[in-house]
Amino acid sequence: MSKTQKSGQPWRVGVLYSQTGVTAVIERSQLNGTLLAISEINARGGVAGREIVPVIYDPQSQPKLYGRLAERLLVEDRVNVLFGCYMSSSRKEVLPVVERRNGLFFYSTLYEGFEYSANVIYGGAAPNQNSVPLASYLMETYGNRFYFVGSDYIYPRESNRVMRHIVRQGRGEVVEERYLPLDADDEAFERVVSDIRRKSPDVIFSTVVGDGTVKFYRAYRRMMGEDSIRVPIGSLTTNEAEAARMGAEAAEGHITAAPYFETLETPPSCAFRDHYYAHFGEDASPVTSCCEAAYFQTHMFAEALARVGGMDTELLRDDLLNAEFNAPQGLVKVDPDNHHTYLHTRIATLDSNGRFRIEREVPQAIKPDPYLVYPALNDWTIRLRGANPIRSIG
Amino acid sequence: MLSSQILNGIRSLRAMVVHPPDSDARELVNQLRRIGCRTETLWPVPDVLPPHVDLLFLEITETVPDVVVRMLEEVGELRPTLIGLAGYESPSVLQSVLDLKVEAVITKPMRPYGVLTSMLMARRIWEERRSLDKKIAKLHDKVRNSQTVSRAKFILMNIHRISEEEAYRRIRSQAMAKRTTTAEIAQAIINADGILGNIGGSQPPHGEGRVDDLEKVQRPTLYVK
Repeated sequence: MSKTQKSGQPWRVGVLYSQTGVTAVIERSQLNGTLLAISEINARGGVAGREIVPVIYDPQSQPKLYGRLAERLLVEDRVNVLFGCYMSSSRKEVLPVVERRNGLFFYSTLYEGFEYSANVIYGGAAPNQNSVPLASYLMETYGNRFYFVGSDYIYPRESNRVMRHIVRQGRGEVVEERYLPLDADDEAFERVVSDIRRKSPDVIFSTVVGDGTVKFYRAYRRMMGEDSIRVPIGSLTTNEAEAARMGAEAAEGHITAAPYFETLETPPSCAFRDHYYAHFGEDASPVTSCCEAAYFQTHMFAEALARVGGMDTELLRDDLLNAEFNAPQGLVKVDPDNHHTYLHTRIATLDSNGRFRIEREVPQAIKPDPYLVYPALNDWTIRLRGANPIRSIG
Repeated sequence: MLSSQILNGIRSLRAMVVHPPDSDARELVNQLRRIGCRTETLWPVPDVLPPHVDLLFLEITETVPDVVVRMLEEVGELRPTLIGLAGYESPSVLQSVLDLKVEAVITKPMRPYGVLTSMLMARRIWEERRSLDKKIAKLHDKVRNSQTVSRAKFILMNIHRISEEEAYRRIRSQAMAKRTTTAEIAQAIINADGILGNIGGSQPPHGEGRVDDLEKVQRPTLYVK
């Protein structure tokens, strides 16, 4: 599948993020992250004097379409490098295609782990990198009676299995566990919130993804009133784009753990944010951690391409293993053992303006451990500290 | 063992890959390390397996080499969980799979997917087999003991002209007094009866402490009457 593109011709890469359907909000932000990186690279003169040109399809949030479009990209469009996918179900459709055709696939979303493919570079968090910090923060701050709400597919179920184990280690309990279809309506979420009121947990752990997130948080605020701040929703997926859609009132008080937040005030983060809004306009879909991952993965690909000088899958992959990049979240590195990425973890609360206020962070990037069955609550490698190092917490 | 414990304990397992050092072996070792098992490799097949191997990955070919048979005989009952690595599905290779009594098979070319599932399946089968073996051994002992006790009861019933219940009561109280089991006392009675019978010459021996079938056990009643 070696792509010997002639000199002067652009480097073509495939991009598969949904611009329509239930996960369009988050995937559009990932698409933007990829496109921003490509435009930055091209503005510097491309790679070896050649531009990177994306071939973009819209899989409409339908898993089967991801597989079919991946096949089309690799066979008809003759690209061998792919960026894309949000839900695990879509990744599982693309995997056999890139393995059969020996493509290189950059996956920029957090997921449930327990996967390795020589043809994939994973840029999102595995559960060991974000579940433990979120659980320990929620238990320390709000209490240990948890209520789990999730979308009905593999990621929420695995995520909850991990969380349940961590909560039990903290002598907490899971009072209820509910799963809703991806296209659940307002009424379905209202029923869940009624049940939450009945069971009065200390905190909610949500793995609702896509459009359901906005419906759930709004229903929660509508029915809980100010109590929604006292008993907040903790999440690994709820991001800036969804917070903007649900509105500041519904968002206030809720908590997310992620490698990156738009409000991170470091030079690389500010530069990234400024470029993003300069490029897409002030009204663009907000920056999210998945967008940041899509962005740094595209840059890492371009740097590997520059070093290798060609699109050969093996050469690019070998070069990427151990590769480092100064990403907006901080220094990241591809783990050669499992193709996942060393990532930072931060905990942030949504303030009354619907913006993430970063509360805690781990001091350095956490090694990915995608095959960890039960992360330990007392793992000293992922201790949180105050986000502002001056008033550092224990 | 609970199934959740098998999953939970997977990282504490020590894995050994006995396979020619090629790309399949490399792929497997890397995946085992990703999963988090302590993993070592050995080639050629050693005469003796190192101690404390929990999971043994073995190359399976169309014949089972003698050295493999010897190595597995050497570990005996402490045989680790066996997972075969097979490149063909031809009948001769499948026969080796059966002969080696592996708990699971991974087909080559190796892919990372499925390794963890095979490990879990193999472990579950191995654990089940081990607990069944223990259960069978226990039941076997029980049957043997009950045969011995019956035989001793009949001897006592004949000698002392007592009921079966009384015979059992005496065996049991002897066992309690001597702080031993009823089976031990029963065996002593059978031995003594055999020796006395031999000396007296009037009774056929019951076999020197060996347990025969129930028919033989009941025979003494015939000639004492």
